[in-house]
Amino acid sequence: MKFWRRREESLENELQDYVDRETRLNIEAGMPPEEARFAAQRKLGSASLVKEDTREAWGWSWAERLWQDLRYGSRMLLKNPGFTLIAVISLAIGIGANSAMFSLADALILRPLPVSHPSEVVTLGFNASVSGFGSIVASYRDYLDFRNAAKSFDGLVAFTNYSFGFSKGPDTVSQMKMGMLVTGNFFRVLGVEPERGRAFRDDEDQVPGRDAVVILGHDLWEKDFGADPSILGRKVRLSGIEFTVIGVAPARFTGMDLYFRPSFFVPVAMWPRFVTNPKDRPLEVRDYRALSVKGRLKPGVTVAQAQAELVGIAKALERAYPDTNKNRSVAVRTEFQKRLEGSPPDAEIAAMLILLAMAVLLVACANVAGLLLSRAPVRAREMALRLAIGAGRPRLIRQLLTESLLLAIAGGLLGLAVGYAGVDFLSRLQPPTDSPIQMSIQLDQRALLFSLTVSLLSAIFFGLAPALQTTRTDVISALRTAGAETPHRRRLLGRNALVVGQVALSLVLLMVSTFIYRGFQQTLGAGPGFRTDHLVMMTFDPSLVRYTEAQTQQFFRQVVERARSVPGVKSATLASAAPMEPNNMSSMSVLPEGYQIPKDQQNAALFGSMVDENFFDTMEMRIMRGRGFRTADTAGAPLVAVVNEQLAKRYWPGRDPIGKRFHLDSADAPWVEIVGVAKTTKYLWIAEAPVEFLYLPLAQHPRSRMTLLAQSSGDAASLAEPLRQVVRELDANQPVYEVRTFDDFYRYKAVGQPNVIIRTVGAMGLMGLVLAMVGLYGLVAYAATRRSREIGIRMAIGAARGTVLRMVLKQGLVLALIGIGIGLAASIGAERLLNAIFESAGKDFITYLLVAPALLAITALAVYIPARRASRIDPMRVLRYE
Amino acid sequence: MSTQDERDKLELLQGTLDMLILRTLLFGPAHGHAIAHAIERGSDDVLQIEHGSLYPALHRLVKQRFIAAKDGLSENNRKAKFYSLTAKGRQHLTAENSKWDRLAQAIARIMRPSTEPTGEEVQP
Repeated sequence: MKFWRRREESLENELQDYVDRETRLNIEAGMPPEEARFAAQRKLGSASLVKEDTREAWGWSWAERLWQDLRYGSRMLLKNPGFTLIAVISLAIGIGANSAMFSLADALILRPLPVSHPSEVVTLGFNASVSGFGSIVASYRDYLDFRNAAKSFDGLVAFTNYSFGFSKGPDTVSQMKMGMLVTGNFFRVLGVEPERGRAFRDDEDQVPGRDAVVILGHDLWEKDFGADPSILGRKVRLSGIEFTVIGVAPARFTGMDLYFRPSFFVPVAMWPRFVTNPKDRPLEVRDYRALSVKGRLKPGVTVAQAQAELVGIAKALERAYPDTNKNRSVAVRTEFQKRLEGSPPDAEIAAMLILLAMAVLLVACANVAGLLLSRAPVRAREMALRLAIGAGRPRLIRQLLTESLLLAIAGGLLGLAVGYAGVDFLSRLQPPTDSPIQMSIQLDQRALLFSLTVSLLSAIFFGLAPALQTTRTDVISALRTAGAETPHRRRLLGRNALVVGQVALSLVLLMVSTFIYRGFQQTLGAGPGFRTDHLVMMTFDPSLVRYTEAQTQQFFRQVVERARSVPGVKSATLASAAPMEPNNMSSMSVLPEGYQIPKDQQNAALFGSMVDENFFDTMEMRIMRGRGFRTADTAGAPLVAVVNEQLAKRYWPGRDPIGKRFHLDSADAPWVEIVGVAKTTKYLWIAEAPVEFLYLPLAQHPRSRMTLLAQSSGDAASLAEPLRQVVRELDANQPVYEVRTFDDFYRYKAVGQPNVIIRTVGAMGLMGLVLAMVGLYGLVAYAATRRSREIGIRMAIGAARGTVLRMVLKQGLVLALIGIGIGLAASIGAERLLNAIFESAGKDFITYLLVAPALLAITALAVYIPARRASRIDPMRVLRYE
Repeated sequence: MSTQDERDKLELLQGTLDMLILRTLLFGPAHGHAIAHAIERGSDDVLQIEHGSLYPALHRLVKQRFIAAKDGLSENNRKAKFYSLTAKGRQHLTAENSKWDRLAQAIARIMRPSTEPTGEEVQP
């Protein structure tokens, strides 16, 4: 700025100097002083023109031009507040919807790992997908083999989430906390520097059970220790074992998972000391595949190369250990791939919401483009004038694009406010749980960057065509006929296409949101297939307080017996996982007798849970054929199982599965006989397609972590305290967690989550509708104004008001109808797509009957108002004005 | 100034002003007015610098780095901007000079096939 001012002053002085000198020469030549100065000035010419030309010679830097364009642009926008307001609000809605949806997608699948150079980190191991939920796992032995043989990586780490009974000292009652078992190189390879203290040393995971050291997570350190600066060296107890705190992880390191935040980190070598079943030897057993393995790719090594190397290693392992490694396929996946495969519903929801948000933005952009196009003729004179005095067309296009940019930035800023509201709303997706599972939906820098990019792109998107149009002006005719120009065919065509597109897109938006809304309503109405009310649930894991296997089973027997005798309890059951609690469900595989597994497939894993004999009664799940479990199904009795209808349909289609046998998990396992078929219910979430499911009797497959479900005769919540009391009487130190009514849990799972989605989708449909209507209204109103002269003449020569009204109405309605036609066709495609993702029954004709006429009515209104106004034109006034 | 005078004056051909400015600066640094004055006096007032074309030309030449501008004091101790020829400008002038000679000869050959002395036409 200073430089520019100085340059201006210098030029001013120079010109003044010239005039002074010339004046002096003239005086010397004998002119009177007055005349001399006048002649000198005349000789120089117009000082402002000279300055202008000289400035041109300096040339403009891009910054100066931008500044000039910005100033001019904001003046133009402020001069047309109505236009600017509508444009900015339209864009704010479009951009805000995208910011919010980006944040959601970010929280669900996009956010990078909180490690250094996250793009280099890949997941590797053996494929283990369960009912379409992909996962990649490895045993500790696999990990060691990979680590020793693979050359593609700058370090491999392994880890697993693990629950611990945590207490600050020997006298305090343990609480259940989730932590992570990690290899000694974990922090070093991932590039995570502890905030306090040190990371593990490599030798701290060499000797099983020796190094009882722990690194606390930042959250735990702050909440449970008040961010105590002298934490290092302090002793804490994990499942009864004393550990020394050696470090605190930094706040930004939230773990290796988007939702789960570990409370602390423990060397994997300590694992054997937490195991209560002596048969489990997690560090030795080759097919105890419970670890996740991640590696940092060496610079220049691609995922495909790493995959090829790993396939080679796996082949060698298969030859060396045919028992445990036969037919195991290996995979190397980027974090993004892993997350997509890990939870397809999340990815589908995120993709769907982002698509819808983009459709909203598209409608908003079309709106603004339409507004800009409408202004093209108004500005044609201004543009022609500027072209005539020598501005280049590129210069004018740049000017117009700058105005679009200003609109987009204003829209983007306001859009952030919309986005904040959206994110606030979406944050209600938090699951009700005691464990540190958190979905952090936030508008962070990445969301800001995303919004900014979207704003800029949309500016180009909606601004370019109108800019080209506006500057394509015939200078002479534009200057001659101020504003009354007949629109070109092409210009009309472009604008009409915009209206048609907007109507079509908003119809699709509305249809899709109605499909989803009605789909969810139907599913919710049909219910999950089991009782959800009058139930209370609580979970315990006696292994956290170092119970032996026998003690654990004894404890469970006593708990469920005593629970049944609590007044108000109608029945009580134990299950390894409550329905719709996928985190605790077990993955198992079924090898039916006489069934040939297709070559390209490994025996497909499916979800299952271990339940006691009262489960089906307590949950009111229907047994369609055969029987449920009995007390007689003990550990010594013949192995039995209950399958659901879906599973029966897969392996025994059209036949009675009762009495059929299968091997569980491996071909040399003993036969399990099917004794009952249970009705297919919902297992993971309410809108799922039918899932195969297997129930095994608890007594034959003991587990250390169990959920107690008790049916109440009265208020379920009032049972929580007496049931806690039952546990306290048995063992005061036993941690009890996840105590809540099943209704609350179900409401979140089945109603809360889908409701947020439904409302989000509905809100976007509504936004699209409002935007399209504003656009349509604006365009019809504008077209009518442009034709006011024509309308005036028509009325002057005798056209009735009705005729004019019909004429303008027809013009708008034809466009709306074409749009609705295209939209309907697109909706059929969208419905098919939705049906493929969510379970819904066939064609939803009611939606078509509901939405299309409603949209037609609203478009008719948007067209009618301006049309009516056009027909009220006073011909005398219009023609006189012309 | 009489109308007669005005009619005798010639407007400069496009592009020649730059060359004349460079030529004038060959004798040493000068300020804007002095340059204009020198060109007009040097051509016996036949060549007139078009209104307002001098300063844009000077600034253009500065931008092209053919001349350099420097603030200095003029003979009567007034602040003024002095322009001087740069090495690049000197080269450019030589090139322009020979180009001009060829152009002038070519035009002269067409306009005057015989070798009449020029200049008589101009004098009444």
